[in-house]
Amino acid sequence: MRKSIITVLALIFVFGGALAACGDDDGAAVRDCDEGSASGGSASAGSASGGGSGSGADCSSSAPVDTSLTVDNALVDEALVQYKAYVLDQIETTIAATTEFTDAVRAGDLEAAKELYAPSRQGWEAIEPVAGLVEEVDGAVDARVDDFEGEDDPAFTGWHRIEYILWELGTTDGAAEYADGLDENLQVLQDEVEAMDEIPPAALVVGASELIEEVSTGKITGEEDRYSHTDLWDFAANVEGSEYGVELLAPALEEADPDLLADIRANFEELDAQLAEYEDGEGGYVSYEELTEEDKTAMTATLAELSENLSLMAGALGLQ
Amino acid sequence: MTDGCPGAVSRRRFLQGTGGAALVGGATGLLGCSSDDLGGARSASSTGAEGEHQYLAFRGPHQAGVTALHQASSMMASFVVTAADRDELRELFVTLTEESERLMSGTPYDELDPAYPALYTGHLGNPPPAADLSIVVSVGESLFDDRYGLADRKPVELEHMPFLANDRLDPERSHGDLLLSISSANEDTDLFALRQLMRVTRGSLVLHWMLDGYTRRAETGPGEAGVRNLMGFVDGTANLRPEDDDAMDRFVWVAEDDGEPAWAVGGSYHAVRVIRMLVEFWDRTRLSEQEALIGRKKDNGAPLDGEVETDIPDFAADPDGEITPLDAHIRRANPRTPETDGQLVLRRGFSFSRGFDGNGQLDQGLAFVSYQRSMSKQFLPVQERLAGEPLEEYILPVGGGFFFALPGATEGSHLGEALVS
Repeated sequence: MRKSIITVLALIFVFGGALAACGDDDGAAVRDCDEGSASGGSASAGSASGGGSGSGADCSSSAPVDTSLTVDNALVDEALVQYKAYVLDQIETTIAATTEFTDAVRAGDLEAAKELYAPSRQGWEAIEPVAGLVEEVDGAVDARVDDFEGEDDPAFTGWHRIEYILWELGTTDGAAEYADGLDENLQVLQDEVEAMDEIPPAALVVGASELIEEVSTGKITGEEDRYSHTDLWDFAANVEGSEYGVELLAPALEEADPDLLADIRANFEELDAQLAEYEDGEGGYVSYEELTEEDKTAMTATLAELSENLSLMAGALGLQ
Repeated sequence: MTDGCPGAVSRRRFLQGTGGAALVGGATGLLGCSSDDLGGARSASSTGAEGEHQYLAFRGPHQAGVTALHQASSMMASFVVTAADRDELRELFVTLTEESERLMSGTPYDELDPAYPALYTGHLGNPPPAADLSIVVSVGESLFDDRYGLADRKPVELEHMPFLANDRLDPERSHGDLLLSISSANEDTDLFALRQLMRVTRGSLVLHWMLDGYTRRAETGPGEAGVRNLMGFVDGTANLRPEDDDAMDRFVWVAEDDGEPAWAVGGSYHAVRVIRMLVEFWDRTRLSEQEALIGRKKDNGAPLDGEVETDIPDFAADPDGEITPLDAHIRRANPRTPETDGQLVLRRGFSFSRGFDGNGQLDQGLAFVSYQRSMSKQFLPVQERLAGEPLEEYILPVGGGFFFALPGATEGSHLGEALVS
């Protein structure tokens, strides 16, 4: 609790209070820009919601979608059922891969832990908009150091804390407690999603779009995985999750606005081709440091066009 | 008068377009609000007082923004073009044409169901009030590389801006494939236009650098000093008059017999030099020294041998530089000899201020912008004469680039049509 208040105050100080852009003008939508609200396995600790916290960068990362929106469309309902299965499947995958990762951390095997870091995040990154619905988990497992006072802030937990320890400190010492917390939180996520009657429509319809916004504002700058430079892994998982969601919605979109669907598919095709150039031949991706400015410019344009088109899906499907 | 474009414009078929142009859509039926008579549209505008602004005519043989008047606010945005091929490049020009025409004519955007994002930013109403908005689309030398097969269509004198005298060009703030120059009565309108233009060109344009600024006054009354730059001196006294069609034909527009590619006729070479002024140092310089460096009196802008700003300096009567030093800025830039008569350019620069540097020194200066029919006959000889001028101690060119402002789009055509066809 104390830490969060300090963080918020620090942010207000740094950003001069001009934070209204992060604010929420709709009580229903919890657009909380502060991801650093939970610590360890504990529940949300006094995060400032509404118009109070965060920088632009914080706002961009997986702000929870508005769960109050509905769609009156049987095809979308069907997609949502399938999407829940996909989400649970991805959580299952994440837990399996992450347990391997955290086991390596606990065993003190630095090299194995580094190898397993990026793969452990794939499932999570593919379903971030849903994961973001369980806010206390999101903040505890995937917050970046920017949300905290510094890298030694005890509230800075999860994947990126461990990433910092592995790459920057070059050790597994001190990482075990964060490995435990990560495992516990992912279990909370699984329980909570399983308990959901249904996935809120916005998590799919708007979420597909938010995954790409996440890439445009967070990944393309190389700030997500700043220690390991495995950004392209996350990038690819975000794209895959978004594309999967769009394909589930394809029957509904085909009916509502086939041209839009065609545009979006063309954008994904282009993006997939660009990403394929950076595959490392072993199921992963090259270091983000290997990308040139030209590479990033080309992907920036594709992502931006895709973002514009995805932003029209909610309208086309009549999300109200 | 400000209501020159009635809202009776039929709206395009939103979401029926294809490809990246979906947001722009098809024909917009703007014909009713454009005037072929640019001069007429402008002359109807008075001194730029509040409430007397215009929607400028987009269509014509030249891009209206090159010679538009009364614009106090300006912005340049340089882009990398990421269009995949010639077809996408053509689509980009079509989109830029449609959106520019919409913005300049004040055509309102459709109001969509609230489940959609709004089609316009909303910070100025729909449509925004008339504000003399103009958009000039220019292309850089790099667009003529091997990407689009345009190498043999490059304007003869368009080159990558070299390091000129005294330069400290920052590559991150220089050059670019395509430059948008947006000017209007106020900054809000410029920003609106920029955001709308970028929104419909996302897949094809990625920002490379941008710069915005202002000009205090476009014109002055008798006896008044004209526009001043941030050195505190009047600037642009001897500039060409944009409303002087004959002068524009002689000095600004590329003509058929210029040996340029046919598509370029009606366009103009567009030079941009972002010149930082070392204002702290300048402000500590003796007034007499400043006046000798510039060649004008600071208070009223008169040449050193004259009484008022509009007096023409008689350098011939001062061959040894006893009154106006031989290396004074205005004397080097425009020696007023028969040989240099043909070197005039149309200057459309503006002042900028963008914070401060790591030493706590203000980052202010002049975005020098000029349009000319020829680089080799006009801009470059002037630059050559200015090289080594003592004023260089106080200024630092840090960015910009050489571009070519496309010819205008006449009815039924789009900007760059002859270039990419």
